[in-house]
Amino acid sequence: MATQNRAAVDPKLLEILVCPLTKGPLRYDEAKQELISQKAGLAYPIRDGIPIMLVDEARELNPDETPSTASG
Amino acid sequence: MADRIEVFDRRLLRQRRERAVATLAAHDFLFAEVATRLVDRLADIRRDFSTALDLGCHTGFIAKAAEGLPAGKIGTLFQADLSPRMAAAARSNADIPTLAADEEYLPFRDAGLDLILSCASLHFVNDLPGALIQIQRALKPDGVFLAALFGGATLTELRQAWLAAETSLEGGAGPRVAPFADLSDAAGLLQRAGFAMPVADSDTITVTYDNPLKLMSDLRGMGETNVLIERRRTPTRRATLTAVAEHYMAQFGGDDGRAPATFQILYLTGWAPAEGQPQALKPGSATSRLADIFDTPEQSAGEKAGPR
Repeated sequence: MATQNRAAVDPKLLEILVCPLTKGPLRYDEAKQELISQKAGLAYPIRDGIPIMLVDEARELNPDETPSTASG
Repeated sequence: MADRIEVFDRRLLRQRRERAVATLAAHDFLFAEVATRLVDRLADIRRDFSTALDLGCHTGFIAKAAEGLPAGKIGTLFQADLSPRMAAAARSNADIPTLAADEEYLPFRDAGLDLILSCASLHFVNDLPGALIQIQRALKPDGVFLAALFGGATLTELRQAWLAAETSLEGGAGPRVAPFADLSDAAGLLQRAGFAMPVADSDTITVTYDNPLKLMSDLRGMGETNVLIERRRTPTRRATLTAVAEHYMAQFGGDDGRAPATFQILYLTGWAPAEGQPQALKPGSATSRLADIFDTPEQSAGEKAGPR
């Protein structure tokens, strides 16, 4: 635990988060460090392990960023 | 959403919070004091909480005050603040999971948390009933919400001094101090949001300053200056500011030459509804008479309460 990466987002936190706009589920994109709300078409950034769950800080998804599985 | 009534400029509030990260440490005694009082109340609730959230955490006053709680009282504490920079500061003060979140658009799933705490943050929410509903839904059944927020009597001296100074110098006054919730509204708000066993009470903290300008500089340092949408957009003139200080001291100044400032703190407590919670009995359903218990003749107080 002592060597845990400070920049990693806490898995227990991810468990309770939903999209603030739609209250729908989020997909964690670990590579991009984003939480993706397919329903809202928004990607919320994670900065230094801190999810920024603010609509005006979110990135709008491109049309080609469709989900691999139909959900949300 | 289009017909929402906006009183507070949340974007400006966020900017104020972002800016206050650098200054808060020198102006944080009020937040720290209120957090301590809030955590004292938490200690009185005889149960443990495996997951808890500090909603509107600033730089982490609840986390600091909670250090004194018995081990196991709070399993995992999460922190959230409207300002990403404030959230980052809170996380560097205590290495616990933190996020940036807007109290008006909570990003928490239904029934995911055992406890939600909030210290001196909910007073700048536009739609407090809406925020309370979201908070109630985020709690597990029998989960607890415990909040401290500034109440209606807060900064009453400053409010009156501004009014007097602006009316006399500028022939009209603009809103300077926010319309905080009153204690009389608080329990009703909790009830409307679906909380069981709502309780609201208040206490008053009087802080004395060298002069009113010190108070204003403290509020600025806390990130608590005017975020009203209807605020005046023109810079305040030096003469007006001087007049505010004069009115303040003339009306409220102490014999010691210092300026007292009232902060009324409302404490809101509510439980998310659950089976088996204590319920209020229906009026008239008593099976024994108080008069018998006290062995005294019964004095009629008028109409008997009947079943509704």
